[in-house]
Amino acid sequence: MQQPATDALPLVLEGVGLTLPSAAGPVEILRGVDMTVAAGERVAVIGPSGSGKSSLIAVAAGLERPSFGTVRLFGQDLAKLNEDGRARLRRSRVSLVFQAFHLLPNMTAEENVAAPLEIAGEAGAGLIARQWLDRVGLSARGHHYPHQLSGGEQQRVALARALAARPALLFADEPTGNLDGVNAAAVADLMFDLIKETGAALVMVTHDPVLAARADRQVRMAEGRAV
Amino acid sequence: MKLPLSLRFTGRELRAGVRGFRIFLACLALGVAAIAAASSTAEAFRRGLASEARTILGGDVAAGAQRRFTDQEKAAFEARGRVSYALATRAMAQGPGGARRLVELRGVDSLYPLAGTVNVQDVGGHPLTLAAAFAPKGGVPGAAVEKALLDRLGVSLGQTFLVGNQRLVANAVLAAEPDRMSRGFQLGPRVLTRLATVEGGGFISGGILGGGTLFNQTARIAIPTSADPKQVRASLSAAFPRAGLRMRDRYDAAPGIRRLIDRLEYFLGFIGLASLVAGGLGVSGAVNAYLETKKPSIAVLKAVGADGVLIRNLYLVQIAVLAALGIAIGVAIGAASPFLIAALAANSLPVPALFAVYPEPLLRAAAFGALSAGAFCLAPLARARSTPPAALFRHNLGGRLSLGPELVGAVLCAIGLAAVAILTAPSRTMAVWMIGGVAVAFVVLWLLGMGGALLAGKARRLATGPARLGLANLAGPGSAARTAAPAVGLGVALLASVVLIQSALLAQVGEIAPRTAPSLVFTEIPAEDAARFDAEVGAALGRLTDESYLRMPMFTGRISAIHGRAVQRDRIDPSQRWAFDNDIQMSAAGAPPKGTDVTGGAWWAADYAGAPLVALGEDIANAGKLKLGDEITVTALGQDIEAHVAAIRRVDVGGFGPGFQVILNAHALDGAVLRQVAIAKTDMAGEERVLRRLGSSFPEVNVISVREQLESATALFDRLALAVRAAAGVAALAGVLVLAGAIAAGARARAREAALLKVLGASRGQVLAAYAIEYGAVGLIAGTAGVGLGALAAWPIVVKVFEAHWSVHWAGVFALVGGAVLLAGLGGTLAALQALSRRPAPVLRAD
Repeated sequence: MQQPATDALPLVLEGVGLTLPSAAGPVEILRGVDMTVAAGERVAVIGPSGSGKSSLIAVAAGLERPSFGTVRLFGQDLAKLNEDGRARLRRSRVSLVFQAFHLLPNMTAEENVAAPLEIAGEAGAGLIARQWLDRVGLSARGHHYPHQLSGGEQQRVALARALAARPALLFADEPTGNLDGVNAAAVADLMFDLIKETGAALVMVTHDPVLAARADRQVRMAEGRAV
Repeated sequence: MKLPLSLRFTGRELRAGVRGFRIFLACLALGVAAIAAASSTAEAFRRGLASEARTILGGDVAAGAQRRFTDQEKAAFEARGRVSYALATRAMAQGPGGARRLVELRGVDSLYPLAGTVNVQDVGGHPLTLAAAFAPKGGVPGAAVEKALLDRLGVSLGQTFLVGNQRLVANAVLAAEPDRMSRGFQLGPRVLTRLATVEGGGFISGGILGGGTLFNQTARIAIPTSADPKQVRASLSAAFPRAGLRMRDRYDAAPGIRRLIDRLEYFLGFIGLASLVAGGLGVSGAVNAYLETKKPSIAVLKAVGADGVLIRNLYLVQIAVLAALGIAIGVAIGAASPFLIAALAANSLPVPALFAVYPEPLLRAAAFGALSAGAFCLAPLARARSTPPAALFRHNLGGRLSLGPELVGAVLCAIGLAAVAILTAPSRTMAVWMIGGVAVAFVVLWLLGMGGALLAGKARRLATGPARLGLANLAGPGSAARTAAPAVGLGVALLASVVLIQSALLAQVGEIAPRTAPSLVFTEIPAEDAARFDAEVGAALGRLTDESYLRMPMFTGRISAIHGRAVQRDRIDPSQRWAFDNDIQMSAAGAPPKGTDVTGGAWWAADYAGAPLVALGEDIANAGKLKLGDEITVTALGQDIEAHVAAIRRVDVGGFGPGFQVILNAHALDGAVLRQVAIAKTDMAGEERVLRRLGSSFPEVNVISVREQLESATALFDRLALAVRAAAGVAALAGVLVLAGAIAAGARARAREAALLKVLGASRGQVLAAYAIEYGAVGLIAGTAGVGLGALAAWPIVVKVFEAHWSVHWAGVFALVGGAVLLAGLGGTLAALQALSRRPAPVLRAD
């Protein structure tokens, strides 16, 4: 199989478009986005609401199939993978952090962090999860359920869950959007520290110019296009 | 590798409890409990019958004939064990005041009973011996008499009464005979006396060929414990192949009752199965609602790398654990219910029962439950597996229902459910019809629900205010018309079919039969005195016409061969064997009797004297697949008569006309003196006049009151109908559960909607009205469709199976439709009240 140089890149988007059906007719969300993320690179995706930032992450992480264009994750063309194949690819190299945390409500903090490791069949998932909870300052909260944690704590658990699997690429969709100023700053610091430590690339959607400024590069989205 | 992880995750998920699964558990438990209860109770009765079989039969082997046994036959019986002989006949009993009543008279020898004990009592209810009961007083033989007869004839213990021409003294009350159950249907109260008294009482003088009374002689044989009853029975049958002996052994002690138990078990179990199908919608709805709440978790798991199989297995294990719990609850209730019956009605059970926990019926019920859970849960699981992770971003995303292992599994489970139901049925044809009927009804109801939702969507544009909101909800994605309407409708359909069958049969017995059926049946009319008998009846009833009186000869016989080849009963459908198993009543006629309805061929000339011809009833012709021109051998009156089928006629069982299935031409029986039977139509006063008049002029003629028989049939039917109605109630309850499930599943959305409506200024009354309209419409769809389908199911049963006239019990129909509307409307109102009870702000904040 031919392996062009760009295949080694964590993420390559070529002319990616996304059109979704709606009751009022099809809606064009993405209109041909090109984007490349290098290993260890930190990219902030900024732009007004409705410009397609979150959809870009959904398509780039293989959660949504693009209507046209090509998405390559670590050289793998996502169009050639079925949903389970994309899940396996994420399992080994990609993690996500969401604005709404999206912790599994019936699992404790420790179990949430261990879940992706368990799914990947890693031995010692519990031990690794405890270590990561310690890293995010929540070692005492391991047996608490999400609803027993504050928003800031939940996002730290989500961060631990995302990074415990040692991904090479982290997608973060408004990671501080639901947090107050103090918590937002703490979570952002933690995320950038841990990213630096693990060497993972980062694609982060944010409305916060301060947070965006911490990235190596900013991509502005407007009306479904990267401008 | 995947399953242990699924199990680990399942454990975590189940820590949250099973709150959302109460309807799921209730629906499964209800259906399984109904099936398990019906089967366990039936098994208890079957085991009870088996354990008492020797007592019920009165020995190990029994032989019966409508004649005296020959010396060779007696020798053969006695060579095989201890033998007790009995003679049974019917005769008119007359009390000192002149009151008359047909009785079942039975004479037994000194060895009776070979098994069990007879319960005869004195006036104070103290037990007496048979010897004391039979002891003569003043030269009059003694007898034990059922209490009902003493009351009817106005006889006290110690007084004498007449049976036929035989005077008897009532020494004891006959409370119970051990072998009562093996003797089948009875036309009157029982009188038990010594064999010699019956033999010498003129009941069997002349014998059958001489026009004597119809009687049964039986020999009950107690064989050595080392001998096999089946072999003894077979050896006797082989020794007398053409003797027409009716042989039974203790493994076949009460076949009629056993058949009734089998049928009733299947019918009640079938209703349980139908309630599993109706409840299946609740099961499926609960799983769907549960998985809907799990959609974010599923999407997160997929986002962190879980594949579809892991997701499917995770929820499959959860559902399986919960299904096992529901089935276990159902099995436990089902296993306990026979004990409950025993505790409540141990003394009034008509059949002996051995109450215990029987694993086989419970396993069968569990299998039905598991297959039903599979059929209804696997499809939603397919949706879970295919839920896209993008559902994290777009809340309206659901999984697709694609052809995968889950859907294949669901279809296989549904087929398995039908297959097990058919394979375990006493009649497979009937089971196929019933299961096919439920499947078709289910699909029709579902389509009607969909149609109702569609129609509501169109109609809402024409409505305003609460009606518009109600119709909009009915048309919406969570519409109860699609979920609750089919389930409630199926329950209503089952209830409606039971109500309509029962009411049509009761109408037949109570209103139609008295108009069309004869009111009196006379048997044992002496042939030589027939004309004088007609005159006596005429004198009591006034002028006799073809419409009010019909007399014909009667004899018993059987069709022994068709086209010269012996009838092979194994080739005849078991439900049709009645015509070939035993001797049946036949007649002979010249001109066609009044009311003869020839549907094929032609009746012979009144004076026809050629080769024997026969007119067959449609039922017996169908049972034996006999056509016009076929040659049959009728074995009757000690001879084989070869006759050709000249005519096929329709026999109106409930009407006034010849009820015989086999009528030979009059000359075919030249030389035989045939007993005569007659039917008459009159009112109650006429019945009384005839009874009294014949008491002096024809005491030997038996008079059967059809009205009394209809009344006792009604009472029996009422008792059976109670069990059937209770079971149908279970199916209706399943429908109610599904309705409750649909309401519960939408509760959160309802609370939000009610809060928004309140914010927009809607009054409580408007919200209540909207919900009542929505659910009332669901009730209306379910009620009307259910009653319509119930009527479609009831019609063939009433008309074809019971051969009764179809009539509709409108009050019942309106009650069922009204009940469904009211119940569903009430459910909607309760849902609205609950939604309205929450303050808008927290509800909207929580969203």
